[in-house]
Amino acid sequence: MWIPIQINENSAEPLYHQIETQLKSLIISGVITEGTLLPSIREFAGELKCSVITVRRVYQDLENEGLLRTRQGTGTFVSHVGEGAMEGYKKEAIRKALENAVDVGLSVQCSKAELTELFTEIVKHKYGAKT
Amino acid sequence: MVQQAIELRNVSKKRRKGKTIGPLDLNLPQGYITALVGQNGSGKSTMLHMLLQLTFPDEGEIRWFESPYADGLPLALRQRIAYVPETPQAEEKYWNAAEAAEFRRHWYPAWDQGYFEELLAKFEVPQDAKLGKMSKGERRKFEIAAALAARPQLLLLDEPSSGLDPFAWKAMIETLRKYMEETSATVVISTHIVEEVRRLADYIVLMHHGQLLGMAEKDSLFGSWSEIWVQVENEEELGELAQELPGALHFAIETPGVASFITPQAQQNEKRVQDLGVKVIKSRILELDEILSLWTQGHRPTLIDQERGD
Repeated sequence: MWIPIQINENSAEPLYHQIETQLKSLIISGVITEGTLLPSIREFAGELKCSVITVRRVYQDLENEGLLRTRQGTGTFVSHVGEGAMEGYKKEAIRKALENAVDVGLSVQCSKAELTELFTEIVKHKYGAKT
Repeated sequence: MVQQAIELRNVSKKRRKGKTIGPLDLNLPQGYITALVGQNGSGKSTMLHMLLQLTFPDEGEIRWFESPYADGLPLALRQRIAYVPETPQAEEKYWNAAEAAEFRRHWYPAWDQGYFEELLAKFEVPQDAKLGKMSKGERRKFEIAAALAARPQLLLLDEPSSGLDPFAWKAMIETLRKYMEETSATVVISTHIVEEVRRLADYIVLMHHGQLLGMAEKDSLFGSWSEIWVQVENEEELGELAQELPGALHFAIETPGVASFITPQAQQNEKRVQDLGVKVIKSRILELDEILSLWTQGHRPTLIDQERGD
C-alpha cells in the first residue's frame, strides 16, 4: 500500500525522524488502520529515496512502541492503537504546533500579552463558529 | 552481527605513472547496496577489478564472505558473482542476446532463463541484433539483464547507467530494487549519477585520487551541511560573525546587506546566529552532490547521528 509520507528536503531534521514522526501520526490518527500491511523495507526505502537502514530503524522503533508488529515471512503490520496513545499523541501534536506559533511570535518581537490576546481571539473565533 | 560480503585490509595497488591506490580499508556489509562514488581516475574501477581478482593488490588482503581465497576464487563462489564492466567484453560481439545467454548459462548454474527473457522484454533489448551492433544503451541493458539472470549473491556494476535513456534508467532502478527485495544480495555500484545514489544506495563509499575518503550511511549525510543567508552591514560584520561560527565555510557578501555561508549543524548554528542578533533571511540544506564535493575538497561532513543514544 502507498503511505503518504512527505520528506521535507529543506529541513535539516534527520530522515529517520521525519519518517518516524509522520508514520506514527498516520497510524495514531487512524489514516492507516489496524491490520494494514506496510510496504517491505526495500520498497518503502525506494519510494522515500532513503536507505533500508533508515526504514528498518523506523519499523523497529515503532514496533518497540507497540504500533507495528512484524510477522516472520509475511511482513510488517499496523497493530492496535490504544486510547492512551491516541490522547498522548493529540496533546503532543497540539503542543508542537503551538510551540511553532510562539516561535514565530518571538522572531517578530511580539510581546507576551499581545501573543496571549491573539491566541484567545483565535480560539474564540474558531470555537465560537462551531458551537 | 552483520556479515561482511567484502573486506579490504590495507589493500594497495600501483597503477600507471607511479600512482598508487590505497591503502584501502573497507567493509561492505551483506544485503546492502553500496555506491562507489568518485571522480574519473579515482580508483573505482580498479577496486572493482580487485574484487573480481581480475587484478591483484600489491599489498594487503581482500576477503570475500569472510574468506581470503589467496589462491584464487573458487568456481562455486565465482558462480555467485556477476559483473557489468564499464566497457563490454569484445568476445561476445558476434552473438545475439540469446546466443550470448546460452554461453553464460553454461557458467552460471543458478541462471534463470525465464527471468532473463522477462528482463530483455522489459528493457526492450532487440532480439536479433548482434551484441556488437547494438547501441551503447541496448548493450548495457543486455549486460544488466544477463548479470541479474545469473541470480548473483554479489553484483558489481561499473557505471551501469551510462548510455541508458531515462526510461531504461528507471526500469533498471526498479529491477535492481526488486531483485534486492527477493534475494538480499550485495550490490556494489560505481556511479557518477547522484540521482542513482539517492534512489538506490544504502551506503556511500567516496574515493578521491586513489584514496578512500570514507564510507557513510547515505541518510546520515542528509542535512549535514546547510547554506544560510543573513543580513549584515558589511564585510567587517560578516568577519565578526565568521569568528563565532567554527566549521562554517565560504562566507560571501551576495548583495549589499546580504551574506551567505555554509555551515554544519545548521540547527545549532542558525540559533547561534540569531542569538548574536543577526537576522537569518533563509536557509537550505545542501544536496548530496554538494556534500560529496565538499567532502572531496577535504570538508568531511559531520554525520548526523541517526541513533537516539540507545
